[in-house]
Amino acid sequence: MKRKYLILLLAILGCATVVSAQNRKALRINEVMVDNESSIVDEYGNRSGWIELFNANYGPLEIASVFLTTDSLNPTMYPVPMGDELTKIGKRQHVLFHADGEPNKGTFHTNFVLVPGKDNWVGLYDADGRSLIDYVIVPASLLPDQSYARVDDGFGEWEVRNGSASKYITPSSANIIKDKNNKIELFARVDGHGFGMAAMAMCIVFSALLVLCLAFMLISKIGAAQTRKNKALAHGVETKAERREVEHDSGEEIAAICMALYEHLNAHDKEDTVLTINKVKRAYSPWSSKIYGLRQLPH
Amino acid sequence: MTFSDFINVNLRQFWELTGFANAELGNFVMLLIGLFFIWLAIKKNFEPMLLVPIGFGMLIGNVPFNTSAGLEVGIYEEGSVLNILYNGVSAGWYPPLIFLGIGAMTDFSALIANPKLMLIGAAAQFGIFGAYMVALAIGFAPDQAGAIAIIGGADGPTAIFLSSKLAPNLMGAIAVSAYSYMALVPVIQPPLMKLFTTKHERLIKMKPARAVSQNEKIIFPIVGMLLTCFVVPSGLPLLGMLFFGNLLRECGVTNRLAKTASNALTDIVTILLGMTVGASTQASHFLTWETIGIFALGFMAFIIASASGVIFVKIFNLILPQSKKINPLIGNAGVSAVPMSARISNNLGLQYDPSNYLLMHAMGPNVAGVIGSAVAAGVLLGFLA
Repeated sequence: MKRKYLILLLAILGCATVVSAQNRKALRINEVMVDNESSIVDEYGNRSGWIELFNANYGPLEIASVFLTTDSLNPTMYPVPMGDELTKIGKRQHVLFHADGEPNKGTFHTNFVLVPGKDNWVGLYDADGRSLIDYVIVPASLLPDQSYARVDDGFGEWEVRNGSASKYITPSSANIIKDKNNKIELFARVDGHGFGMAAMAMCIVFSALLVLCLAFMLISKIGAAQTRKNKALAHGVETKAERREVEHDSGEEIAAICMALYEHLNAHDKEDTVLTINKVKRAYSPWSSKIYGLRQLPH
Repeated sequence: MTFSDFINVNLRQFWELTGFANAELGNFVMLLIGLFFIWLAIKKNFEPMLLVPIGFGMLIGNVPFNTSAGLEVGIYEEGSVLNILYNGVSAGWYPPLIFLGIGAMTDFSALIANPKLMLIGAAAQFGIFGAYMVALAIGFAPDQAGAIAIIGGADGPTAIFLSSKLAPNLMGAIAVSAYSYMALVPVIQPPLMKLFTTKHERLIKMKPARAVSQNEKIIFPIVGMLLTCFVVPSGLPLLGMLFFGNLLRECGVTNRLAKTASNALTDIVTILLGMTVGASTQASHFLTWETIGIFALGFMAFIIASASGVIFVKIFNLILPQSKKINPLIGNAGVSAVPMSARISNNLGLQYDPSNYLLMHAMGPNVAGVIGSAVAAGVLLGFLA
């Protein structure tokens, strides 16, 4: 019994670990600026390099106790402090860390700086200090006021952005400004008549139900064989050839057996539609009493 | 300010808050529609469990009031009681709860005994995609067209779930349209079934379904959920809850949970869902040309869905051996209006042969239709969300 509980406990712990890991794994380094000469200023009016993280989850994510670092040999360089409600990032939202080497200025100021003119390895570790969630190597060739960003939020290739109209720099906001739903636009443009959608969707619906159908044809064959076997055993038949001879009971036979059982034993099988007629006792309540609803007491 | 001025000003302000001062023609039209729904439910017995809450919800939602007074009573005013109840619709969590109840109520034996009937449930979903094409042709955007087309699935909760995700602004009209046509299934389907079948086909007698073991009934929801959701993960909220409810029913050790899911929980959610959907049909949102378009498309989707189920059976019969032919009168049951459309198959079958009971056979495609429409909703959500 104790062993059973132990296995259950381990399974629950395993699930909890997996769930936790899945959440944190969706945290992404999204954009980095090493040399900030004219970009965003912090709440003290100072400029420094910055690192933008993105929560790719479709739910909020608490990032307190994850680690930011620029040295893979020192993964716990900057722990994101606990106890600050701002470390809870909303779904598909961003958070910006100023790499100014002044952690006493607040939660979002790291204890390291990014160094211009050399490759900067930036890593993000989970709370255990060992599991690498994400990392990026920011190239040494990055010029002042250029950022190194993912093409799309949370995934995709990295590119250098120089602040031009097409390569805009977006601290604390989405790397691509979306003013329309690309999927809908694509369907409207390419499949204006809906034939493509109808064909694809019907194929998928048919496939899903066909797979289910085939699975249950197989299961019902196994089930029928098992029933035949059980029935044959009940009839005292043991060889395969004899088993085949034992036929299914017809619906009429089953109904007759059920009726006989009901007639003689008043016994039910597993049916849940048994009609019973019992007197229902209703408790008296003044709330439902008609006497209080009468305007005049009857004489 | 004198005392009489004080009384005068306050009474005038109060008058400005009343429904009489804020009423518009649209409100009265919607009130009449609400009363018509209640009449249909009570006098004609058309889906009373749904049309009474929806009809009364329409009355609640169309009592006019001064929206700028900050009373926080309207369904679209954040923080109001109605708005809180409406969250189940707008965030889409009522429909999965209804599906939990449907799963706990549904006996899938007919489908397990004859799995090929599942394909009829798939074929009937063509109504959805036929309506999608027509909706695109008359100018709806793809996401709106998808939300409207799901009416063809004849499944109210699925229609609400999908429209809340794809076209929240059209949800009231879509929900009312879906439930209206579900109530009108006995009127819409029989002429179509007669039109697409010959007398000889209507007399086909199907072999009685074999008895299904409890093990098979337990395996069905588990395998069903895994297979369908692996194909269409976006249908997880609906399919997951449907099969979960069915497992509660069939496993034999959770009878209390199954009873709660199929009775109390379903009743509570149906009341809230119906009432809030009705209340969401405020005249300003509902009385538009788009609504008329949605009703027309919904009607067409229903017709295509019913007809495609029947026609599919006829085509399917071409490859089936003589002893395993399917009566095409059960094809209409591929739309998921459970169990109304299966009952229609049975009644029509009995009209032509008083000994030909099709109910259990029709329940197969009927419950397959529930699965099929949830899968179709998942597909549309996956493509268009």
